[in-house]
Amino acid sequence: MAEKHISIIHPRPSSIVAALYTLRDLNVDVAILHGPPGCSFKHARLLEEDGIHVLTTALDENGFVFGGREELSSLLQKTNEMFNPKLIGVVGTCASMIIGEELREPIQDADLDVPVIGVEVHAGYPNNTKGVLIALESAEDIGIIDGEELERQRHLLTEATNVEKRHGAASKEYLVPSRGDVKYKVAGRIIELLKDGKKGVTIMNAKKETGYMFADISVAVNEVAKKLGKEENIVNMANVDDSLGLPRVRDHAKNIMAGFEKNGTIIHENIGGMDEYPVTGELVTGIIKEKYADYDFAVITGVPHAIPMDSFSGMEVISVTNGPRQVHPLKDMGHKYVVVEIDLHPKTLGVNEIVESEFGATIRELAKDMLD
Amino acid sequence: MGEKKIIAIYGKGGIGKSSTASNVAAACADEGYKVMIIGCDPKSDSSITLLGGKRIPTILDLMRQKIEIKEEDIVFEGYGGVQCVEVGGPEPGIGCAGRGIIVAIQKLSKISKSMDDMDLIIYDVPGDIVCGGFVAPIRKGLVTEAYILTSGEYMPLYAANNICKGLAKINTPLSGIICNSRTVTREEDIVGKFSEEIGSNMIAFIPKMQIVQDCERDGFSVLEKAPDSEIAEVYRGLARAIMSNNSTVMPKALADERLRELTR
Repeated sequence: MAEKHISIIHPRPSSIVAALYTLRDLNVDVAILHGPPGCSFKHARLLEEDGIHVLTTALDENGFVFGGREELSSLLQKTNEMFNPKLIGVVGTCASMIIGEELREPIQDADLDVPVIGVEVHAGYPNNTKGVLIALESAEDIGIIDGEELERQRHLLTEATNVEKRHGAASKEYLVPSRGDVKYKVAGRIIELLKDGKKGVTIMNAKKETGYMFADISVAVNEVAKKLGKEENIVNMANVDDSLGLPRVRDHAKNIMAGFEKNGTIIHENIGGMDEYPVTGELVTGIIKEKYADYDFAVITGVPHAIPMDSFSGMEVISVTNGPRQVHPLKDMGHKYVVVEIDLHPKTLGVNEIVESEFGATIRELAKDMLD
Repeated sequence: MGEKKIIAIYGKGGIGKSSTASNVAAACADEGYKVMIIGCDPKSDSSITLLGGKRIPTILDLMRQKIEIKEEDIVFEGYGGVQCVEVGGPEPGIGCAGRGIIVAIQKLSKISKSMDDMDLIIYDVPGDIVCGGFVAPIRKGLVTEAYILTSGEYMPLYAANNICKGLAKINTPLSGIICNSRTVTREEDIVGKFSEEIGSNMIAFIPKMQIVQDCERDGFSVLEKAPDSEIAEVYRGLARAIMSNNSTVMPKALADERLRELTR
């Protein structure tokens, strides 16, 4: 079947940035952007908060005309002296790729003992997952990951792209960003449902480090249920399998699971690795059909649009996303309430434990008012 | 003297654009016009025969060294007072020559005062317009008239025809076709016919003469080294034709089939 082709006109994540995040997941110590000084600045800064060094060859007008082979090889040498890294990544940019810059030669020129992953990527791909893929292929080229993991990731990326096309940011030519429903109102509704003895499932289906904050919502719901003595009415699912994915991603799963345990939140169903958010849908549907078909409501966080709606027939669905452009597609799917955790991602970088979410905090505060 | 003319000569690579440009520049200078020639080819050899075979520092050479460029660093006086400028370029196969042309001509327009006093400015652009940068002089509104140089052979005519398409696309008028002969059969006839059919006219026929090559080898234009030659007179004629030309057209490119018929 021919794929439906739409030309999307809202701004979207960049493949260059996707490659940078992938290098971080591969645990590079330094990522070098080969291109103009301001390219991907905002994310470069965030990644510094996440513990890796990000540098730029800062190509200027001269660099565009004469190329930057020497700039890159000397920056690689400087990087080696300054940070004593164990693994380095180099990422292309639009400017350097258009003028035909080649990363392999300057990497050879630098002649370091440290492995260097050269990622020849620009931002001109319709799906930013292409940046992840190119980064992973480049990592496999120099033996940082094996072919099996590459294939696994390739499959997940294809599915992630499909999820976005079906019900996500790539589902329409233009999506209006929205702040979603008022948190106060939705928190009130959850407390009411719990008070009325309704049975609910929480599903954290989070993408990698974003789980540090989405997990807090599951925890908050459980805290309120406990307060009401209705703990047994809540079932929790989360994608926190720590045996899957790139090293850093496994660590996130470990840390978040430890957080759940610390808070006394029992995860009844572990639905996959933290990079498996695009493929958990079928499993979740099966589990619900088998065990929880008679439940009254569901609170889905992370990438809620990856879970098909037919899992929830007869349930009131409340979802929490960090994408303002995700609100309308989720409403279209049939979610009754959609809450946006604005600026979630920056707050989940550089942390290794569950961090408070605005929605979680709202639930807790409101529960005090309503129940105490 | 009339309005200032800013022209570019287009044509297939190797067809003789630089030779023609420098000889026309020299001939115009002999007539008393103030002339500037701006070489936009990364090979930087447009002005070499006006400077006794010497190469001058290019704009991009100096930009690469990151020194502050003044007009006298890049504009050099050649034969008959012709002002010579070379854009230059990166090493072949590295960086972006097209971007280089854009940056260099921006720099030149910014720092050159002598450009304002010229009667004729000739942009000598590379034959193959491989990317946007190579048409920058025209796109940026610097060039007001275009000429196309061709022989009567099929490939140069094919290129000329393509350039006509390009000119129409960027809304730049054509001021005439110049035939630089390769001594092929019925050449004058073929090029004349081609010019007519695209809606323009052939303003000069330059016969193939060994003396042009000989002068070039020594580093001179024929106007300087062999002013009494027959060919020098041809260039003078072309120079006068350019300076007095007021008719421009938006060329209509021919269908490839018609082009083949013409050259058969």
